[in-house]
Amino acid sequence: MNLADYLPIAIMLLLVIVFAGASIGLGNLLGPRRPTPEKLAPYECGIVPELEPSQRFPVKFYLVAMLFVIFDIEIIFLFAWAVRFRELGWFGLAAVGIFTALVIETLGYVWKRGALDWNIPRRARYRLSHDVADEEAA
Amino acid sequence: MAPDIDYLALAPEITLAVTAVVVLLLDLFLPRRQKYWTAIVAVLGVSFAALPLIALAVSDVGDRAMLGGSFVVDDFALVLKGLFVIAGYLVLLMSVGYVESDRYYQGEYYFLLLMSILGSMVLASSRDLITLFIAVELVSQPMYLLAGWRKGDLRSNEASLKYFLLGVLASALLLYGMSFVYGLTGELTFAGIAAEGAGKAGEPAFIMAILFIIAGFGFKVSAVPFHFWAPDTYEGAPTPVAAYLSVSSKAAGFVALLVVLYSAFPDASGVWGPAVWILAALSMTLANLTALRQTNIVRLLAYSSVAQAGFMLVPFAAAATTDAVGLGEAFAATVTYIVIYAFMNLGAFAVVIAGARKTGTGDIEGWGGLGSYAPALGALAAVFFFSLAGIPPLAGWIAKLVMFGAAMGAGSPWMIALAVIAAINAVIALVYYARVVKTIWMDPVPATAPEEEVRTASVAGSLGLAIGLSAAVVVVAGFFPSLVTFFSDATKVLAGG
Amino acid sequence: MTELVLFFIFGALALVGGLTVVAARNPVHSAMGLMLTLFSLAVFYVVQAAHFVAAVQVIVYAGAVMTLFLFVIMLIGVDKAENLSETIRLQRPLVVLVGLTVVVVGVFVAVGGRFAWITGVVGAGPEVNGTAEAIGDDLFTTWLLPFEATSLLLIIASAGALALAFFRPRRREGKEEGAP
Repeated sequence: MNLADYLPIAIMLLLVIVFAGASIGLGNLLGPRRPTPEKLAPYECGIVPELEPSQRFPVKFYLVAMLFVIFDIEIIFLFAWAVRFRELGWFGLAAVGIFTALVIETLGYVWKRGALDWNIPRRARYRLSHDVADEEAA
Repeated sequence: MAPDIDYLALAPEITLAVTAVVVLLLDLFLPRRQKYWTAIVAVLGVSFAALPLIALAVSDVGDRAMLGGSFVVDDFALVLKGLFVIAGYLVLLMSVGYVESDRYYQGEYYFLLLMSILGSMVLASSRDLITLFIAVELVSQPMYLLAGWRKGDLRSNEASLKYFLLGVLASALLLYGMSFVYGLTGELTFAGIAAEGAGKAGEPAFIMAILFIIAGFGFKVSAVPFHFWAPDTYEGAPTPVAAYLSVSSKAAGFVALLVVLYSAFPDASGVWGPAVWILAALSMTLANLTALRQTNIVRLLAYSSVAQAGFMLVPFAAAATTDAVGLGEAFAATVTYIVIYAFMNLGAFAVVIAGARKTGTGDIEGWGGLGSYAPALGALAAVFFFSLAGIPPLAGWIAKLVMFGAAMGAGSPWMIALAVIAAINAVIALVYYARVVKTIWMDPVPATAPEEEVRTASVAGSLGLAIGLSAAVVVVAGFFPSLVTFFSDATKVLAGG
Repeated sequence: MTELVLFFIFGALALVGGLTVVAARNPVHSAMGLMLTLFSLAVFYVVQAAHFVAAVQVIVYAGAVMTLFLFVIMLIGVDKAENLSETIRLQRPLVVLVGLTVVVVGVFVAVGGRFAWITGVVGAGPEVNGTAEAIGDDLFTTWLLPFEATSLLLIIASAGALALAFFRPRRREGKEEGAP
């Protein structure tokens, strides 16, 4: 058991806790507290907020979250390959290349479908690529 | 460092994977009116996947094992892969008209269907827990999505959600059981588990692991009491997807059960035999009694497929009390039943798709007089429903025969009791199958039926082809049982040892 | 000795996190509690020298899955006041009953002690080796097929997410397909 190797991490963790705790604690302890409604409002680039933050988000965010998870999982597999890529050689490169190409295809697919477009006008927002192709053909 | 890979053995899987990816990309670049190309490419891909299967079947090499014995192509794998390819082909044919007629994502539909077929192919060859689990997920996950493909319909949303939640629960149970097995034996391959687990059949943790695994697969094959998702999902899902769920997805669950129970836990048959006995008896009885009260044709087929799963489980129960020869017989009996059931149930669902289009309803009452204005369809409906009931000379009777043979062959009082339960249930099942046929042929056309041109409109070509192929197999195999038993006998290698 | 100390510290933290998940009124706080539990588990894995599993735990669970949880909490909206009334009667007694059964069975299995787990003592043998290097070797030889199949599962997830979360456009009347 060679846990001594992790001593720097433990010290780091301790420092994090101390620093975060001290920042918040001292701020509360020493800072003057004179709240006004403007100060308590959430910061939205100087604009007066219109909605409670607990409003629902559009379902589009879900797709972004999904993509994030997918690429996150890909990274895990790349990690296993990266630590042994010399020993695994060309075969390993081919295997991980196929894997990555398939996952990248996901990105191209979502992109072409128009799911990553955020700034197109609302009426056209959900138009999919093939509809555009359809109209071009007509 | 590189492992030895037998590319011919993997060729069917590679073909399917490439086809699926091509379909997904092709769909992006096709204008709306040319989407049918995705269907054509999908059908071609599945056909091409069958070619290496034939090459493997006639090759002299024998069993091909690779990746440390975790992927094996033997006779069992080949027969089941052949079944999955043909069933997938038929479902694709059924889907063509159905998917085109409504606002579906076509490319994604075929992509997901191909992925599920690919999963079942890998499943038939997998001989270790990890490959098996990934394959099971590859079969199920596309189905969670496809069940909800009719997004505008609340019942489809419900279908998808129910299937997803219960399916994920099943996967969790499965993984839990598998982790226990790995913890107890330290092995992942089935051969290793069988060797290490030989003396452990009596240990509580081992028993628990086996029960968890049976419960997990029980969901996949929709055996009572794990069947709750089936009727709602079948009803809400697009009908071709329901057909796929009731045939390929269920068959995949059975393949997994067969492989795991017979090759990983052969010494623990005293544990899983009784457990499966209970599942079989419950599935047959409860599902048949519920099916009697159904008014919707798809729900009726759903309960019917739960009951049929019960019949397929009967030989498993027999394996507990029998010797090595009987073990092989029981194994082959389940395979025979799966193969025949696949064709007759696919045919029944294809007839339901065609009939629902003509009558404009899924209610059995609305199907009155179908035989008078669509006699061919009515006759084929009779063929498939009577075959499901097990009436000679249609193929269903062979399935029932080998099932009863395996049960009686075991000879123990418990198995004779189960055979009696199965016999009673076969009679109950005949009642509701015959009721549908009676409605089609004897009842008058209801006032709510659509007008003449809808009723007499011809069935889409691909759907007709699917019905015709299934009917041909059901009729021909009924007269020549050796066509089916030849294949199922070949699969005994796995149980024999 | 260090192992024992670490176990008690992070075991306690994991329990605190678990309790926060069920006790916190605000779903976001529950998510944070879950994060604490997941992270504590990652420490256990490190202590057991299962480095790869620890990395998975932090990157995938504490990272991606937690992000997904937060997204879902945002998507369905954070209701400060949780509705605690129960729609299913006898739910609580049933839960207690089932829970007790599981505990009893678990104790029976664990204390019954008629079986031996295959346990991996770090560095004891080649059988159990959780380092990233060992997993990399295995992943690209024995488990090559499941590995490649996993990428297909990932495509399924994204295609499915897109197909279900994005509605197809409702086209204007007269421009339905089938029209010339």
